[in-house]
Amino acid sequence: MSRRLSLLAQRTAIVLALGLFLAPVLWLIMTAYEPSRAIQSTPPLLWFKPSFANFASIASNFDLSRLTLSSVVLSAGSTLLSLCFGIPCGYALARTRSRSAVIIAYALLAIRGVPTVVTLIPFYLFMQRLGLLGTWWAVILMNATLSTAFVTWMMFSAFQAVPPEIEAAATLDGCTSFGAFRRVALPLVQTSVIAAALLCMMFAWNDFLNPAFLTRAETRPLSVALLTAFGGNTTSGWGNLGAMAHLSTLPIIAVALLLNRYLVSGLTRGIH
Amino acid sequence: MKRRSLLAAGLGGAAALGWPRPGRSQSKPFDGMVLHLASVNDQYSPGLKALSARFKQETGITVLVDILGYGELQTKITTDYVGHTKGYDLATTDNVWAPQFAEAGYTVPLNDWMKRDAEAMKLDDIYPVLFTALGNYKGKQVAFPLAGYANVLAYRKDLYATARLQPPQTMQDLVANAYKLTDKSRNQYGWVANGQKGAACAQDWMQYLAEIGGVLVAKDQPTLDAPLNIQSLQTYKDLFQKAAPPGAVNWDWDGREASFRSGLAANMQTWSVGALGYFDPAQSKVTDSAALMVTPTAAGMKPRYGIGGWGIAINADIEDQRKQAAWTYIKWITSPEIHIALNQLNACSFLRRSELQDASLNRKYPFLPVIDESFTHGDADFRPRVPQYPEIQDILGTAVNSALVGAMTPAAALAAAQTQALRYF
Amino acid sequence: MAAPAIIHVTIFAVYPILRGAGFSLFRMNLMQPWLHRFVGLRNYTDALSDPAIRHSLAVTLMFTASCVAMELALGLCLALLLWTDNRFNRVATILMLVPITVTPIVVGLIFRALLDPSFGLIGYWLTWAHLAPPQGLLGDTHTALMTMMAVDVWEWAPLAALILLAGLKSLPADSLDAAAIDGAGPVAKLGRIILPMMLPSIFLVLVLRVTDVFRTYDIVFAATGGGPGDSTNLLMLDAVKQGLQFFDIGYGSAISILMTLAIAILAGVIILALRGLDRRYNTL
Repeated sequence: MSRRLSLLAQRTAIVLALGLFLAPVLWLIMTAYEPSRAIQSTPPLLWFKPSFANFASIASNFDLSRLTLSSVVLSAGSTLLSLCFGIPCGYALARTRSRSAVIIAYALLAIRGVPTVVTLIPFYLFMQRLGLLGTWWAVILMNATLSTAFVTWMMFSAFQAVPPEIEAAATLDGCTSFGAFRRVALPLVQTSVIAAALLCMMFAWNDFLNPAFLTRAETRPLSVALLTAFGGNTTSGWGNLGAMAHLSTLPIIAVALLLNRYLVSGLTRGIH
Repeated sequence: MKRRSLLAAGLGGAAALGWPRPGRSQSKPFDGMVLHLASVNDQYSPGLKALSARFKQETGITVLVDILGYGELQTKITTDYVGHTKGYDLATTDNVWAPQFAEAGYTVPLNDWMKRDAEAMKLDDIYPVLFTALGNYKGKQVAFPLAGYANVLAYRKDLYATARLQPPQTMQDLVANAYKLTDKSRNQYGWVANGQKGAACAQDWMQYLAEIGGVLVAKDQPTLDAPLNIQSLQTYKDLFQKAAPPGAVNWDWDGREASFRSGLAANMQTWSVGALGYFDPAQSKVTDSAALMVTPTAAGMKPRYGIGGWGIAINADIEDQRKQAAWTYIKWITSPEIHIALNQLNACSFLRRSELQDASLNRKYPFLPVIDESFTHGDADFRPRVPQYPEIQDILGTAVNSALVGAMTPAAALAAAQTQALRYF
Repeated sequence: MAAPAIIHVTIFAVYPILRGAGFSLFRMNLMQPWLHRFVGLRNYTDALSDPAIRHSLAVTLMFTASCVAMELALGLCLALLLWTDNRFNRVATILMLVPITVTPIVVGLIFRALLDPSFGLIGYWLTWAHLAPPQGLLGDTHTALMTMMAVDVWEWAPLAALILLAGLKSLPADSLDAAAIDGAGPVAKLGRIILPMMLPSIFLVLVLRVTDVFRTYDIVFAATGGGPGDSTNLLMLDAVKQGLQFFDIGYGSAISILMTLAIAILAGVIILALRGLDRRYNTL
């Protein structure tokens, strides 16, 4: 009985928290169906006659499939690249006993902490010299530098929790050390890998300054178009912003929900 | 050797002047060229995008319009100019950037071409003040006027009638009316302006200050804390506290315009570019009662109508042929016929006398005579046109907001601002 | 195995950073290229002696400490709630991440709109009930900074929760079972077994959030512009203003490098503190 009660209390708390996290986004989504005279009125309204004019408006002003494609490419590309760099790096740092590991990890973090103001202009000129300015690559490479540090740190702490003895046993059984990493260590930190991937994907998906600066009209992602949809100084585009937000939130939630079955416990099932 | 290079230079010059060259059809000398245009996301940008197809049809030039937010546009084109990366051939240029771009030589001075093409372009049809305001610095025309905005007073006819008030003739009238039209119990406010820290509150206060005769830069020196300026900031602060809707101290253009469209505010000084929205039933609750008039000035002062908007500039780094093509685009987009077409697409951005007389536009925009009057007696200098403008605007953005929210007295805020501003002169 | 990452970061991050850091030793305004010249540490001494920058630093430190502490606490509560592995919790975990998917500048716009005392669904009623100042939570110097902290927590507490949850889920079962056999109560179990074993994840949250919160820009820029007055004026606003609006890239870079140093120091302090804790628990 008390176990049921505690489950009920837990779920209520989770639902309440979800409400807090979702309500502001739901409000933004809702503005898509409002005529703009209803969005900014006093006192503020919650009911209105829904209209789909805002969707028609963004469809005629933006190449929506192109924008979505750019967002998908940018976030998938940055995520893959950061995982490819970050997971091995985190593993190596966790397994080495040399002092330089800590220094490298610390340096990666410090690099992540450098404000974009310093790097943006040199990076822009660098990309121009490589002929990558205005392409997706420029943004992917930039995001991957920041996210690699993030993945490395996440995997660093995850691999540290895996006792090296397990791998030693596998090596004795005839595994190469890479095999031990791939077949033994990696599956054990699956939750962390999925969590890191999800967060990388979201960082890249919501990134604004880098793509605004490094892309052109034809390679622009949704995060930048959102602000364009909102409009300039004198016109308020809450409705357009809300309509665009459907595209910028729903796909990423769908992907996240698809990944969620891998978000299982590693060594243990949680006890409660 | 010397003669040959001279000859080559002569030929190059001839090509640059747009003479037909063998192998290209005479009517489409730039057929197949692709130009990149960076545009701010303002009322006219969807129209620019839509008209590209027509320009391509007529000239064979593809103009790719890249629409960016204000900050991104500024950072991006400046980096493009500084790094000589030739990312954009054309860029819409805020009037306040012109002095800096002119001094650094980042954009092509257009004076010679304008002189050459004056007749074909019907330049005398464009209001002279727009040339000054939208891209001229010390005689150099570094951007061509693209979208002229007038500072106007939007007010509510119905509320004025109910209160038996006349539309204001002077700033003193406007301030008095603002108080009379405020009735908090009925959620009715007589005044609204941008209060948010930064460009938003700085620009609106500068407009207000110009109308009562205040001066911010005199003889190349800042005069931010002149007695008249302090006094005006005090009046301004009182208006915000007693006659403006709740939250106005944190509003930028979005909130301010919404407050007028939703019927909260009875008076609002604003850029004419947003005015179409007041008469659009999808956006506005005051479609029948909104009206525009020229902005008032202090009693006894000559009218001083603020002029703002955007010019369009050519990147100085690109090859001559691309400059020619870019100039072709500028001539085309600002031509009487195309600029009217742009306004049919809701640009609400004007340039030409003929445009403001156009019957179809007058049906669409019920306030064009007000804009004509403002442009005819416009003042390009209500915001100081000096290279230090961005810094001054920022300093005032903090000072004015600090005074409005009561963090500092107007005198202290402007004194601090003056000290800071002196560093840049 | 670390080589690919190190090579990539060296080329695409270290190189631009070094160039940018080089700018900070020059008087360098992109709008006045003819005035460029080497000035040594002048930009740094200017920044450190500017009272406005010092004020921003104080605001930034307060903002960072509060946000990170709240995100850690809230994230831990959420992670514990979502620990049990079942369908409901997994879906809830994903939905909780929604705030992270929203571009921060839009987050700033959303909360400015919601909290507006005239038009905002929340702000109007708060002011009506006298729970918020007449100019709204974001229009008053006493409440704006706290409100911005809440907005940051709203967007990023889920990140902390997810990292902590991943940490929780990889705890070895045997020590938890041993604790269960010992008959330790839930509080004791949390304090004596779970938290000490969670130190790596907690550390990760602290360090990641400190580096990111210290550089907060978008949400504040969109919601208050640093106002009212200078109550929410974070250092990053100064850096962006100098570097990317005035194009005084020398001064802007100097402020940014100082910020990086501050972040490195904060991260160092956290590392040392948590190492000490770790040792204490390991010897127990």
